[in-house]
Amino acid sequence: MAIAAIPHDAHGEVDQLYVETRELRLQGFLLFLISDCVLFSSFIFAYLYLRNTGQGWPPPGIARLDVAFAAWNSVVLFGSGATMHYALENWKHGNFMKYMWMLIATIILGAMFLGGQGYEYHHLIFDEKVTWAGSGIFGASFFTLTGMHGFHVFMGVCYLTVLLLQTAAGTYTYQKYFGITAGTLYWHFVDVIWVVLFSIFYLL
Amino acid sequence: MSVAAAHSGGIADHIHPEPQGFVRRYVFSIDHKIIGIQYLITGFVFMMLAGLLAETIRTQLLNASGGFVSPDTYNEVYSVHGSAMVWLVIIPIATGGFGNLVFPLMIGARDVAFPWLNMLSFWIFPVSGLMLFSSFLMGAPAAGWTEYPPVSLQGAPGTTMWCAAIFLVGVSSTLTGINFLVTILKMRAPGMTFTRMPLFVWGQFATAPLLMIATTALAAALAALFMERVFGVPFYDPTKGGSPVLWQHMFWFYSHPAVYIMILPLFGIISEVLPTFSRKPIFGYKLIAFSSMAIALLGFMVWAHHMFTSGLAPFLQVLFMVMTFTIAVPTGVKIFSWIATLWGGKIHYSTAMLFALGFLALFTFGGITGVFLAAVPTDLDLHGTYFVVGHFHYVLVGGSLMGVFAGMYYWFAKMSGRLLNETLGKVHFWLFFVGFNMTFLPMHWLGFMGMPRWVATYDPQFQFWNRFESVGSYIMTLGILCFFINVIYSIRAGKKAGPNPWNARTLEWQIPSPPNYYNFKHIPTVYGLPYDFSQPLPYTGLEDELTDSPPAQLTGAHH
Amino acid sequence: MNVALLEKIGAIIGGLIVGAVAFYALWKDWKTPGVENHVFKVMLLLLGVGAVIALLAGLGILGTFGKA
Repeated sequence: MAIAAIPHDAHGEVDQLYVETRELRLQGFLLFLISDCVLFSSFIFAYLYLRNTGQGWPPPGIARLDVAFAAWNSVVLFGSGATMHYALENWKHGNFMKYMWMLIATIILGAMFLGGQGYEYHHLIFDEKVTWAGSGIFGASFFTLTGMHGFHVFMGVCYLTVLLLQTAAGTYTYQKYFGITAGTLYWHFVDVIWVVLFSIFYLL
Repeated sequence: MSVAAAHSGGIADHIHPEPQGFVRRYVFSIDHKIIGIQYLITGFVFMMLAGLLAETIRTQLLNASGGFVSPDTYNEVYSVHGSAMVWLVIIPIATGGFGNLVFPLMIGARDVAFPWLNMLSFWIFPVSGLMLFSSFLMGAPAAGWTEYPPVSLQGAPGTTMWCAAIFLVGVSSTLTGINFLVTILKMRAPGMTFTRMPLFVWGQFATAPLLMIATTALAAALAALFMERVFGVPFYDPTKGGSPVLWQHMFWFYSHPAVYIMILPLFGIISEVLPTFSRKPIFGYKLIAFSSMAIALLGFMVWAHHMFTSGLAPFLQVLFMVMTFTIAVPTGVKIFSWIATLWGGKIHYSTAMLFALGFLALFTFGGITGVFLAAVPTDLDLHGTYFVVGHFHYVLVGGSLMGVFAGMYYWFAKMSGRLLNETLGKVHFWLFFVGFNMTFLPMHWLGFMGMPRWVATYDPQFQFWNRFESVGSYIMTLGILCFFINVIYSIRAGKKAGPNPWNARTLEWQIPSPPNYYNFKHIPTVYGLPYDFSQPLPYTGLEDELTDSPPAQLTGAHH
Repeated sequence: MNVALLEKIGAIIGGLIVGAVAFYALWKDWKTPGVENHVFKVMLLLLGVGAVIALLAGLGILGTFGKA
């Protein structure tokens, strides 16, 4: 993987069609993220509504969630947000290898987060007997929201892996790299959703 | 600044290769005009099916003891009728249909921002429609179009199918909303500032964020209902700690804005038809444009007025009542602006204009009865009666559907190159108008007398007016049959329209009917509002549109 | 040494690092123009806040309500 493998466009310029198409895609992608955010917000509203129906929280018979482990797992995911930010920064500055390492670090941290969530699910389901359908509104809201978020992280990890393969194959140039920008936006979005979910499920 | 205003070589100059073959041209087309027509055809087919269900309802109610279908079937029939009319007829026709067909032309664009996404949004729609209607095969949903739990939790397997179908059509709406919003924000022709956009574009611009945001909230509610029905995950079941009122909150958080999704594009159509046929500039352009945005914004803050009988805290009831009354202000602003547009104009009673005038009368009536229902004291009395049925049919049929027909008689010339027959159109209008009022006006006093909605049999004292309504509904159906006959007849033998049969001034009328696949040979520059009827057209760059010369990009003369 | 303590130490140190990096990146990007950069700044701010929340949770300052 040599840096020379990434071609610069002729005369170092991009054509007008690309500039305008990129703006459209950027705007469309941001609107998609907004509507995705509304999806999470609706479920968060449902969770808070159910939580306030008056049986106390956590409901009788269910232990509080393990804050220490979740805090550590959150830091893993937030760290992946930071590495992704620097992956894009390095790409913008033409540091190919640093970009690759940062991207790989992001993928590993994202996968670690998923592993941690799997561990937590395993602990809840088999040690504490808290399940999706069998533990009332606690199981319903917790597993639905964190599961939906976990699915988004999984999709993000897949996306970033594709980005890794694409950049290795020379799909993006230092002028045309909207895919990397979109990946960074998506990954930040997934992180930020977790800030909210972590706060309302573990800390509140 | 609009990107389209930038220098040459950008999207404004880009022309897709001409579609080759029947399938790419008419079936899996990425051309916004073809997709618009596909939406319209599919929507009208679903309208016929849902209309048959409506006639089943009215036939059942001919007699106080029912007898046409069994009570269980009756529940299925009105549930699917309501769901189909809202999600498969009005919303797709108003947004996907007229939106796709007209507004990219009106802003001087060659296509929407994401043509492939547009094709995807369309093709999700007939699939979800077939899913909804096929739920009859496994026991259709029977809890009304609102599907309140816990009844919907115990409903037949078709209820799960209903969830999936509405979820899918919601995905289609969301994608359309994103697509339209980006198109309007980024692809306007040079000089087409926001305050020079035709009012139909403003209608779509106010609707697109509703499609994008509200529909996603509905998707969450439906997903939860789906999970509860299929996997037993307790969200709504009160015996497992869930809350049925949660569904009502989530459902109405979508479905109240959905009311505006169903009316704002039609406001846009009316705002185009009225000035064209009264030959006068629209009165209060900015007021109409901004009141659409105000309605869209306020629409998100009033959902709980559907839930006054669901045990809402009293201070919340008052809050939602006042917020709902507030919506009457921007709506009133529009209605007075339209009337002021007509004032002193040289009114030409074409069929499109008749439907627009009918819209004004009936929508205003429906809006006023809406204020009755927004007031807590009267709502507590009228909730769940036929008054509600009368009210929302005045808004959705007398408002939205009249607007749809006005748009059809107005733009049919643009999409097909031929005019709809005016005589048959007037027969259609009068049958529809008279039949409509016969059907839905008596519902208001039936509601006051206490006839509950959603019942297969009723007290014999209501029988006379119910029979009267049923006869009215048959007359209305005759009117709609006239419309379908008119479309089929005119598409073959209608009068040739030419590019601009109505002498209208928006951009879509300045190019041939039907337009070429690239819309404009040269993207025009815009200098003003399209409504100043005494002035020359505020566009330049349209000189070649009505000649036979191909666009410069295709002859290689470009650059 | 038990696992919970390790997790807490991890959360504290990680929270410090990630928070510092996020706020540093935000400070450095403060004046970048363009829609996506504005969005990135909001995201970085929330990321930093998230890291601080995780740090406080690791310290036991947050997330102890309702635990007698």
